[in-house]
Amino acid sequence: MVDRTGPRPESAGALSSTSVKPDTTASRGFVSRVIRATLPFLVIAILWQIASFYTKPYLFPGLGSVAKSFWNILTTWDLLSQGLITWARLVVAVAVSLVIGIPIGLVMGLSSRVDEFLRPIVKFIMGVPALNWVIIVIIWFSSTELRIGFVLVVLCTPVTVYCVYDGVRGIDRKLTDMVLAFGANPIQHVRLLMWPYVKASAFTAAKLNVANAVRTVIVAELVGAPLGIGKELDLAKNVFDMATVLAWTIFLVLMALIMAQGIEYAERVTLRWRGDSRRRD
Amino acid sequence: MFAATSAAGTATPKLSVEHARKSFRQANGADVAAIADLSFTVRAGEYVAIVGPTGAGKSVLLDCLLGLKTLDAGQILIDGRPVQNFVREKKGHITRIFQEDRLLPWLSANDNAAIGLQMQGVAEKERRATAARWLDAVGLSSFKEALPSELSGGMRQRVNIARAFAPDPELVLLDEAFSALDDVTATRLRQDFKTLAQAQSTTFLIVTHSIDEAIFLADRILVFGAPARLMAEIAVPSRAFEDRAISDQIKDEVRRLIAAGARVQ
Ligand SMILES: Nc1ncnc2c1ncn2[C@@H]1O[C@H](COP(=O)(O)OP(=O)(O)O)[C@@H](O)[C@H]1O
Ligand SMILES: [Mg+2]
Repeated sequence: MVDRTGPRPESAGALSSTSVKPDTTASRGFVSRVIRATLPFLVIAILWQIASFYTKPYLFPGLGSVAKSFWNILTTWDLLSQGLITWARLVVAVAVSLVIGIPIGLVMGLSSRVDEFLRPIVKFIMGVPALNWVIIVIIWFSSTELRIGFVLVVLCTPVTVYCVYDGVRGIDRKLTDMVLAFGANPIQHVRLLMWPYVKASAFTAAKLNVANAVRTVIVAELVGAPLGIGKELDLAKNVFDMATVLAWTIFLVLMALIMAQGIEYAERVTLRWRGDSRRRD
Repeated sequence: MFAATSAAGTATPKLSVEHARKSFRQANGADVAAIADLSFTVRAGEYVAIVGPTGAGKSVLLDCLLGLKTLDAGQILIDGRPVQNFVREKKGHITRIFQEDRLLPWLSANDNAAIGLQMQGVAEKERRATAARWLDAVGLSSFKEALPSELSGGMRQRVNIARAFAPDPELVLLDEAFSALDDVTATRLRQDFKTLAQAQSTTFLIVTHSIDEAIFLADRILVFGAPARLMAEIAVPSRAFEDRAISDQIKDEVRRLIAAGARVQ
């Protein structure tokens, strides 16, 4: 007979030996989750390390030298500042794309005429590969900051437009009717009903664009930027310093992850009303 | 016995609908009538219920009363003047209680109840105070800062009611206001609604498919056919809800009329 300490008749059958000592199961769950999350990286690291024993260091540098390069980036201001410059370009570009894209998406969502007119343009811009923009801006602008900024903004803005457009179109028709029934004028309609949805889609757009921009910022920076990660990568490439290339790569990926986390946190705080787990029905 | 009482003497009715017509073009190009030559009047302070088959155009009529949709023909008069004028000049003085609560999920109960006042341009402090009084009146004193997601279905419907009363409306439209609730909650809410309503000098138009609700709340029942047209008016004696014999007789009559007036399926 199973020892039933907490007599709950409906779950008596389920009270088998697996549910004793919940503390250790919880901590074991955590450990196994950590192992499962790190295992893929561990396997790759081991394979990489093995490869480094049998190949030239400019192909597969040892993990030790990659770690040293990474540490070097973090502790040398001259290097770290290059990373921060790239980060700043990214943040500014994503912010500018929100400032431009939100009103466009909002107006497209509100008016089918504007939608009809702008949609093909937005679609076309979205279809242009990043590298084509790089070539175009080299001809158009002489300032490298302008070149990089333009490429990033032109790549991010259509994404923002579509997110906001979808957010506005996705507003429950019943809420729109309610707001109009209570006599909202167009400004009240936008401020009271649409703006919260626009904010929600702006967070989605920011997340997508950060991921997007991290992947394209280096391409843009390779247009002869005298500062930034792109320049550092170019320098490392010239001397076959694979460890530094990898260290900067890890730096970029971490940068993207940290920014995504930050945006998600801001989103949770700003849009608390969306997390409705406490419904009392 | 309960023959139509022709609307009172000489005073201008609060609401009069005259030969209203409205149809919609369907995707296949055919026009389908939602309102067909509908005429009726409602006196100031009266409680009038509208019952009729589903799809009879009752909700469309309420949209027209709010000026959200326009009739193809005929007219709607409030105090003897076109409803468009009324809506423009006395913004938010016709309010609606919806079947679903339709609360804005990011606003507290207090701010939701204040929406009508906000549209009227009432300053924030004042509108919050007024809305708070209405939340007290509907029994939500301790939930003023709760988000809709933290309230039960019945509580959300109470906010819906407070929101409709807060702008001091002249005409309140109920569209199946209690239909989405369970019987126990609905009965309590109807009771509370009636008590609140009777303290106002407002006119009520109550669309419902519950004949019991119509008998409980209304002085008069309009039976609609589909598309919306007046099939009959039935006066509801004040003792009708308590007197089984009278209420059963009204119910039989209404059911028979609705069945006769339903659109051929
Ligand atoms: N915006 C619309 N476009 C087309 N048809 C509509 C629209 N609104 C309502 N209708 C039609 O009008 C009729 C009446 O609908 P409604 O007023 O919602 O009925 P109910 O009496 O059940 O409230 C229905 O046949 C519906 O399909
Ligand atoms: Mg309806």
